[in-house]
Amino acid sequence: MFRLLAGRFFASLGTLFFVGLVLFALTRAGPGSPARIVLGADATSQQITQFEHANGLDRPFLEQYAAWLFDVLRGDFGKSFVTGRDVAGEIAGALPVTLSVVLLAFVIAIVVGIGIGSLAALRPGGPFASVTRLGVVLGLSIPAFWLGIVLIRFIAVELRWLPPGGYVPPSSGLIAHLQTIAMPAVSLAVYYIAVLARMTQASLQDALRGDYVRTARAMGLSSPRIVFYALLNALPPVINLAALSFGYMFGWALIIEQVFNIPGLSRALLNAISQRDFLLLQGIVFLFTAIFVLANLGADLVNRVLDPRQRSSA
Amino acid sequence: MSNFLANRRRFLAAGAGGVLAPLLPAGLLHAQPNQGKTLTVVLPSNPITIDPINQLNHDAMVLGQTVFENLVEYDADGVLKPQLAKALPTVSADKKTYTFDLREDVTFQNGKKMTAEDVKYSFDYLLDAGNKAARRSLFTRISKVTVLDPYKVAFELSEPYGPWLYFLTKYMGIFPAGSRQEHGDDYFKSRPAGVGTGFGVFETWKPNDYISFTKNKTYWRKGLPHWDRLVVKMIPEDATRVAYLLTNQVDIISAPPPREFNRLKTMPGITGASRPTLGGALLMYTNTLKPPLDDVNFRKAVSCAIDRKTIGEKVYYGLLDPSAVPAPPRGWWFNADADKELAFDLDRAKAFLAKSKYPNGAEIDLSIQAEPYLLDTKDAAIFVQAQLAKIGVKVNLKVYEFSVLIQQAIRGEHQMALQVFMSPGEASYIIQVCLTPGQVLSKSTGYDNAELNGLLAQAFAETEQARLKDLYGKIQMVVARDAPLGVLGYVHASNLWRQGVQDFKVNQGLTMSVGEVRV
Repeated sequence: MFRLLAGRFFASLGTLFFVGLVLFALTRAGPGSPARIVLGADATSQQITQFEHANGLDRPFLEQYAAWLFDVLRGDFGKSFVTGRDVAGEIAGALPVTLSVVLLAFVIAIVVGIGIGSLAALRPGGPFASVTRLGVVLGLSIPAFWLGIVLIRFIAVELRWLPPGGYVPPSSGLIAHLQTIAMPAVSLAVYYIAVLARMTQASLQDALRGDYVRTARAMGLSSPRIVFYALLNALPPVINLAALSFGYMFGWALIIEQVFNIPGLSRALLNAISQRDFLLLQGIVFLFTAIFVLANLGADLVNRVLDPRQRSSA
Repeated sequence: MSNFLANRRRFLAAGAGGVLAPLLPAGLLHAQPNQGKTLTVVLPSNPITIDPINQLNHDAMVLGQTVFENLVEYDADGVLKPQLAKALPTVSADKKTYTFDLREDVTFQNGKKMTAEDVKYSFDYLLDAGNKAARRSLFTRISKVTVLDPYKVAFELSEPYGPWLYFLTKYMGIFPAGSRQEHGDDYFKSRPAGVGTGFGVFETWKPNDYISFTKNKTYWRKGLPHWDRLVVKMIPEDATRVAYLLTNQVDIISAPPPREFNRLKTMPGITGASRPTLGGALLMYTNTLKPPLDDVNFRKAVSCAIDRKTIGEKVYYGLLDPSAVPAPPRGWWFNADADKELAFDLDRAKAFLAKSKYPNGAEIDLSIQAEPYLLDTKDAAIFVQAQLAKIGVKVNLKVYEFSVLIQQAIRGEHQMALQVFMSPGEASYIIQVCLTPGQVLSKSTGYDNAELNGLLAQAFAETEQARLKDLYGKIQMVVARDAPLGVLGYVHASNLWRQGVQDFKVNQGLTMSVGEVRV
């Protein structure tokens, strides 16, 4: 296990460095300068040059990357030269907001997706399975931003059940907090409910056809217990998919936070892109990469816990 | 296993609780932010600074104008009025010295009395190249600021230049002597508490969410503001911004979606209004140095082929006043004869094309902005593309992000570029910036004309409106003759607000004026 963890840790570090380099290259290669954003459309070339020099943007590419990486390794993500704010502080302020939306969406996706998928797998030809099939197609087809706007229109504007957007932290009241993140989380979760339901259904149906299930039935084990064992065996691919989904959810949160006016990481990232705020952009994408890498590492570990065959092969 | 099951049940129960908890009765919704005497207004974009000498975005200027004030104010109606000065300045005979008598009842939010020393300090700081003020270039003709007595200050200009007074509201503010050294520039950028004379005192900035101000209890205009707290929220998504208003979460929104504006303003509980801006133009930068736009007849053919009235009425639902010259149709300096010379007339367009070097038409790239600002220029671009096809000109639409598009225009790398250009609403600004040499957007047109430059210099030395109207009329005739810059019209500023909001007036300069609003 230690060898596995160490191996994965170094592989993850390599991934992060590589992504950092690519990210650095892409941000610098793109057209548009942050100087133009900060100084305005009618800034003179001299002002632009001064700004770029003062912020080290005129230094060679690799020199800039090395300096940035050195600072990041010391936990210093720098100071945004657009807003003047500390990048680490800005990320620390926005991360809990995004995390709360993504975590609720993830929980909804896991509970509802695996629940629906399992029920549909138990009666493959039944009406519930047919409805699930239709629901899955719908869930995969409906764009999250459109669903978000529809929810705002009906739940917030027409019915006045929930606020149309914004964010209330848990410290200001759990109910108010959940009210602000309910619609964004549902909008974000719908696609992944569909994905996980389909995978769970397919995987569980496959497991239920296994020899050991037939043996268990012959031995007189109760149906719920047999389904439980089959579900445990069906879970590894679902967990892998769920881990990937968790990472992807941060990407989709980009749109959801915009629609629901949530001041999270994704909102900060979009602003960083449009304002050419390189340091903030790099910091956030670097963090997203780290979350994605960690989610995959977590999935591997959970699979090893659930599947003894993987433990023995380590 | 039993532990696993128990944990699983607990986990599922917690998950279900998390999902169902929000679906509680509406009465449990969190407190509405616009209750009591809090005024909540919404911007469509994310500001990057409150510092008055580095202002860029006209929507976000509401922040700087809440904290800082100026000697004179270019107000919501486009009228120049005294603000921290007792009256408009007296101007010397050579039009190079402006003298202001200051109000004696003004204090900064930190309790310090405002005097002429503070005015001198503020302008000296702005003009010092080392301080890198983004808007310094607008004021570089000020050669010296002299304190005549504690409440009297004189500005000497290197050459006559009347427009500078009109730029103060948007690009300048008065701050206490020594405050920049005491607090540093970041303080002015992101938390300028106590350093202005305005009606709102900075309270907090929550990045990507809102910025708030409290009432300045010692404000020199007694009785103002009528609110106790001002919250400026940032909501970029159109539909969400509108939903916030419809659910009473906010009081006033800016930049409502043009398509929805007429419907929304008649909804119960909602009021809306729009008015034409004096400085927000839908410009089509025509690069006169690149073929086929190097031919004046071709440029005139392009101009005359565009039906601006239909664009204003059908494409932008009345939120664009058509104009073919760089002057707003409702501005006092608008020259209708010049406008007629470049206005829509398909037969004249074909005649101009026939006289040009490109009688059989040509192919042009039109650069447009990806993200809408006030109007979505993509809508007009498609219409322009269809109209120019009627005279045999093929238009290729190229979509770029704002920062890329503006860079193209600044470097003169484009052929034609369409963009909403927001200016302070002063008569010379767009002409100076786009049609005279050495300016930031000079290469967007590549135009340099001694006659126009001479007329502009005369206008800078003039203060009487009747004479200025004559000069700007002549300038527009030169523009009509040479067609160096495409103009499609002037945009309207529009706002929607809740009916409980009183004394709010849409600003011709786009920036919301909230100092006198009652909630």
